[in-house]
Amino acid sequence: MTEAIVCKGLSKRYGRLLALDNLDLHVEEKTIFGFLGPNGAGKTSALRILAGLSRATSGKAWVAGEEARLNSSVLQRRLGYLPEDPAFYNWMSANEYLTFVGELFKLPSAELAARRAELLALVDLAGAASRRIGGYSRGMKQRLGIAQALMNRPAVLLLDEPCSALDPIGRLEVLETLVKLKEQKTTVFMSSHILADVERVCDVVAVIDKGKLIVQAGVEELRQRFAHPVFELEFDQPADSAIPLLQKVPGVTRVVTENRAGGVPVLRVHVTDTAKARHGLLHAVETSNLALRRYEIVLPSLEEVFVELVANHKEQSR
Amino acid sequence: MNVFVLFKKEAKEQVKTYRLLIVAAVFLLFGLSTPLLFKFLPEILEMSGEGIPIEIPAFTPSDALKSYVNSLGQIGVLVAVLVAMGAIAQERERGTIIMTLSKPVGFGEFAVAKLAALVVTFLIGVALGALACFYYTTVLLGSVDVQAFLAINLLIALYFVVCLSITLMYSAFFKSQLAAGALALVTLLVMGIVSSIPPLAPYMPSALMGWGQSLAVEGGGSAWPALIISGAIIVAAVLAAWQVLSRKEL
Repeated sequence: MTEAIVCKGLSKRYGRLLALDNLDLHVEEKTIFGFLGPNGAGKTSALRILAGLSRATSGKAWVAGEEARLNSSVLQRRLGYLPEDPAFYNWMSANEYLTFVGELFKLPSAELAARRAELLALVDLAGAASRRIGGYSRGMKQRLGIAQALMNRPAVLLLDEPCSALDPIGRLEVLETLVKLKEQKTTVFMSSHILADVERVCDVVAVIDKGKLIVQAGVEELRQRFAHPVFELEFDQPADSAIPLLQKVPGVTRVVTENRAGGVPVLRVHVTDTAKARHGLLHAVETSNLALRRYEIVLPSLEEVFVELVANHKEQSR
Repeated sequence: MNVFVLFKKEAKEQVKTYRLLIVAAVFLLFGLSTPLLFKFLPEILEMSGEGIPIEIPAFTPSDALKSYVNSLGQIGVLVAVLVAMGAIAQERERGTIIMTLSKPVGFGEFAVAKLAALVVTFLIGVALGALACFYYTTVLLGSVDVQAFLAINLLIALYFVVCLSITLMYSAFFKSQLAAGALALVTLLVMGIVSSIPPLAPYMPSALMGWGQSLAVEGGGSAWPALIISGAIIVAAVLAAWQVLSRKEL
């Protein structure tokens, strides 16, 4: 497999702030790559450098085989970019905006008209294509943003928080679109805060914090490598009295209460050693005199892996 | 080169956001009102004088043209700054510039297209104002030398292009259009002050307006150094806007 995006020692400094610190990334072609990190981690800075909108302080990057240089038209012909908060000329309609973008890519007029119709249908805006963008909802603007980023059939699609402004149905539609694009051999590089979305569509993720790469791996590999198992315990009644007992069991690192539909709280018990904890937990439940409804070992979510990785990184960098 | 696509979008924006309409209305107003005022001023004064005889010499077409150039030199400059101050600053403030510049669009062509659309807007405004002024001056006050009148309006238009390009340059510097507008006005004011220093006056762009006035009155005069320097300022301002866009974080 060849690489769609490569970053080598990429750094970006804004005055005294180091937004990106020697970032190395390798993104394979035809994958959906999740780029994760807490607020201010440097995700947008990296995306802007890759999109030819910002200059790296040091290091280099390549997108679709072209070096990411500021305002490089060769680079920008090969990629599509959606910023976190896409802004449009409010006086234009979606039709006018996509025509403008198509003309910037020098699409012949017949091809442009066909591509515009195809994209409007893809993002479900065909019915609103003649309305002023100024009257669109945030979700509609986000979908138009995705359409404009796809106008030139880019080899690499760079998306900065593509689902942040969308409702659950809108999110699902966007994620389905991304999967379709992957099938069409487009590489998607997306930053996101919504880890459930990343988990659903991404093949590989990279986690960064304070501009530094913490880890890059496949979603499943990440879970196996970095997450400790979790026991889920569901009781018939509120189980606050069981928490201190569970916390005393050897190998237990933390106990988190989760309120789920139906009103019965679920205790998620994070452990370091499954075998050791298994008997101790059951004994603690017995001692608590609470009626246990469900007892299960579950795979940790990507969110839990992410929280743990970032917390560990913060601790190490102190 | 995408400069024509960008220009087309900018020109459409001038219409859709009513900038062209406002500029045309302001220039048309001055073009219409100046000869009308000169024609009817003696009668207005006579009516308001309640029988007291007021001696006013008869106004000539030159008086009307001189006043027209004067008025445009003040109000037109203000309109130029107000219309151009948001050209790039507003795009940066709203984030639309990111969307456009993530496409194969050069910083230079982005700035050039902006200036070109503003220039066309002002050329239309100046042309409409000039037509109105020419027609009413000829009808109400007497004939006007067509060649001199054309030259006057071209000089006015060139002076406005200087004002527009300076404002565009500041618009590239700042995210706030108010800051861009304020600095452009200060710069034009300083240039105005400098132009009152006799040895420097012939070299400043405002000498173009003086040239226009002398064409209106005497049908002569020249300010070729000011013309060359105005051209140089326009080119330098566009280059500066280009450089700023390529150096500053968007």
